[in-house]
Amino acid sequence: MNFLQQAMPLLVVLSSLIPGLIIFTLREDQRALRTFLNLAGVSVQLVLVALMLLGVSRGFSFKLQLPFIPNADLILRADALSLQFVTLSSVLWLATTLYAIGYLKGSAQHSRFFGYFSLCVSTTVGLALAGNLITFLLFYELLTLTTFPLLVHRGTREALKAGKIYLAYTLTGGTLLLLGIVVLHSLAGSPEFMTNGYLQAFQDDHRLTLTLAFALLIAGLGVKAALFPLHGWLPRAMVAPAPVSALLHAVAVVKAGAFGIIRVVHDVYGISLAHTLNLMSPLLWLAAFTIIFGSVMALRQNEIKKRLAYSTVSQVSYITLGVALLGPIAAIGGLVHLVHQGLMKVTLFFCAGIFAETLHVHRIQDMNGIGRRMPLTMAAFTVGALGMMGLPPIAGFVTKWYLGMGALEMGQPWVLLILVGSGILNALYFLPLIYRGWFGLAPERWPEDTGLGGGIPGWRETHWMLLAPTLFTALASILVGVLAGTPISPLAWTHFIVNPEFGL
Amino acid sequence: MSWALLSLASPLLAALLALMIRHGADRIVLGATLISLIAAVLALASINGEQPVSLNLGGWEQPLAIRLELGHLSALLMILTGTLHLLVGLYNRVSDHGTSSRSDYWPLSALMHAVLLALWLSRDLFNWFVTLELLSLAAVAMVTLSGPKAYAAALHYLMLSLMASLFYLLGIALLYGQEGVLDINQLAQQLTDTPITRLSLLLMTLGLMMKAALWPLYLWLPDAHANAPTAVSALLSSLVVKGPVFILWMILWHLAPAPFAEQLGLVLALFGGVALLAGAWSAMTTPYLKTLVAYSTVAQLGYVLIALGLSLRWQALELATALWLFIIAHALAKVSAFLAAGEMQGTYGRKELTVVKGATLTMPVAMFAFAIAGGSLIGLPPSGGFLAKWILLQPMFTSPAHWPWAFTILAGTLASAAYVFRVVSLSFDQPDITPGSLTQNLPAQWLSLLPALLVWGLALLSHPLLLWLSRGAVV
Repeated sequence: MNFLQQAMPLLVVLSSLIPGLIIFTLREDQRALRTFLNLAGVSVQLVLVALMLLGVSRGFSFKLQLPFIPNADLILRADALSLQFVTLSSVLWLATTLYAIGYLKGSAQHSRFFGYFSLCVSTTVGLALAGNLITFLLFYELLTLTTFPLLVHRGTREALKAGKIYLAYTLTGGTLLLLGIVVLHSLAGSPEFMTNGYLQAFQDDHRLTLTLAFALLIAGLGVKAALFPLHGWLPRAMVAPAPVSALLHAVAVVKAGAFGIIRVVHDVYGISLAHTLNLMSPLLWLAAFTIIFGSVMALRQNEIKKRLAYSTVSQVSYITLGVALLGPIAAIGGLVHLVHQGLMKVTLFFCAGIFAETLHVHRIQDMNGIGRRMPLTMAAFTVGALGMMGLPPIAGFVTKWYLGMGALEMGQPWVLLILVGSGILNALYFLPLIYRGWFGLAPERWPEDTGLGGGIPGWRETHWMLLAPTLFTALASILVGVLAGTPISPLAWTHFIVNPEFGL
Repeated sequence: MSWALLSLASPLLAALLALMIRHGADRIVLGATLISLIAAVLALASINGEQPVSLNLGGWEQPLAIRLELGHLSALLMILTGTLHLLVGLYNRVSDHGTSSRSDYWPLSALMHAVLLALWLSRDLFNWFVTLELLSLAAVAMVTLSGPKAYAAALHYLMLSLMASLFYLLGIALLYGQEGVLDINQLAQQLTDTPITRLSLLLMTLGLMMKAALWPLYLWLPDAHANAPTAVSALLSSLVVKGPVFILWMILWHLAPAPFAEQLGLVLALFGGVALLAGAWSAMTTPYLKTLVAYSTVAQLGYVLIALGLSLRWQALELATALWLFIIAHALAKVSAFLAAGEMQGTYGRKELTVVKGATLTMPVAMFAFAIAGGSLIGLPPSGGFLAKWILLQPMFTSPAHWPWAFTILAGTLASAAYVFRVVSLSFDQPDITPGSLTQNLPAQWLSLLPALLVWGLALLSHPLLLWLSRGAVV
């Protein structure tokens, strides 16, 4: 058991790394083997994650520690928070892999794509399992490297330009993060993340240093979390293939930033120190502003994917907002949104990809009547969009409820205005799409009907490998909302994560 | 110590043999390199405790004898030299763009190997002068191996190198005239702070900086390194410029009087900061692939200069660890980068940077090697480049006055990312040629990948490595 407890976190990382490395060596035509490796990797990972979920809920710990730099070991460990992120990653990896196989059919360079795709999941999982700042930094930087090839996969001029902008932003962010980590390391070393942080001892003598380091860390993490004004790369990055956008927006990159912010606030600084140093109010204002800003920008876009991209800017800041409120209920709202936004956003990007691939519909004005041609896809899209608006019982409602209650608990009622305002803006930019889709007059002919899957509304409206994952994630978005009160929901798990942080 | 001598003797003998027996010179040299590498590893293992081992050559006593000294640092550098010579030699044999098995590459590279080992083991000023001269001559001769197009660069290199030697020799002469000894330990014990001391140290520093192509005395490097045959470029950038750096560190740390060291350290560190940015800028703007890699050496030596300068200025021995880590990490990464770049240049048949367009599809292994070597040059965790940068950054947060240095280093990081990704992002462009149409040499590409994997693998070895280097820095 002891050996297994050490090996588990590493095995989870390897379960996607090894298939990825093998896939690189495959020839283009070894399609079956490639699909097998993809699915075998994801299955093994799901089993391992399920085992660890069970273990952690029973009080076991899983940890691997390797010597690296003086006072900074490499630590991979599974705690409640990391497992939430790992579970999200591996479940969505399954969905996205299926989707990507369907999506890329007929295009070239599969081995390169799926190789980096697996590496990307592996680094995301590693980032989730990172047990101290130095390990986190390692995976944070590797994530930049593994996502870049996916982003520029099409090799068009536009994609390469977006890739360069992405690198400029993320590498600068990584450098700032490194700087912040070095500052903290020279103060306290890099011990394991711990509930309530490990920096309280320095709060009297090193206020300035701690504040500076916090600013550096948030600036570094804010780039990937697309906090205003560091969000510039995200809308451009939607030139990537749809499964990549889905993964980037739902799990891999933006969530890595948000997850890092949670880690820094809860497990490096700790709630009480964040209070004492008054670190949170700037972050709170920034998050609130980003929520409104993202929504307003989304409203101004004509392309479906661009609108979704700005919507991500807005929605991911809910997580930061929840954390920055520094109250237990708000923290639950923020943390659970990590999962909820992931499920809903992945659904929306899947749908946008299906519209683009099946009918070459890219712009919002072309969506008229698409619901009659593709009812199932449009239904999934509707679920995602309504969820983003915060309609019960879809996942997004639970988040908003907790965030609102949390804001009241912490005596910050103005946050409610932000939430309501964002809800209204969400409605303004999503409802027209839903209206057009269901009630608009369908054009005589679509921009280009590829006839994927048979072209018959219903099960054969598009390729089944595109449709099935989309319906799955849409269903999951509803289920996590409906079942929020039961012990198997992400919400219940979030309670399990948050309570110790506040001594509950 | 006897292992170290074996390690030194084996390539020296091979150089002589390869001169006499041209047929099969490659096998002789590769075999000798392997023996030398194994002996170097055994030499490292044979060091008991923390004290270095000394040997007086020819049975003479100090101060007459020539002293060799084997410490952890010397042993590590010997292993590095052996490893890289072996890898580059194998590449040169395997690649279609290497020199022939009968060429002068083999005796010259064996000579270079032996001279470098002698340099790492020597501890007196004149011995170092001899090794520097031999090193430069071997290097210049090897640059000319790529034919008449390299003659101009080689001549330029030779001239500057000779001038540098004169500066260095003048410095030695002044110091010897004043003190009457050349052994570095004895000098360190008896040297006093006089104008002569300072002048001679300054002259030696100038000469060594020229030889090591440290900013602003680097102008000979890009042409020489870019025009040499690929295997030679790799050796020049990874090892040859490091020899003078070793001597420079030794004499400044041991001999420079404290106030002088602080002033000189500041100047060197400032040069380093400029080198980081200026070298990277040239790498970002050059139209040629191998020239880009060569300018990256100029930039990377900026880190070395900063570590050297600041360790002198703050009398911080731990920065010497960063210095050696940079040297080791850069050597490994640069061999990969040059071999990959040379292999691509040879296979595509052009030397412009644009040849890598679409290389992730047409030459994936070589491109991958270049990219991950680049990752270490940028200093991404957990590569060797990251380790070095981490150690270098540590003392910079002890006082706010040091913060500008930290920002300089980070600016350097971003600048190196800019030139590395200039190549990498081009390689994701659509290729102009169909992937199948190239005749590829896969073993050569895999060989170019190996050092890059090693530099990332340093993460696993970081603990003993840091321990050895922190000991090695003392002596």
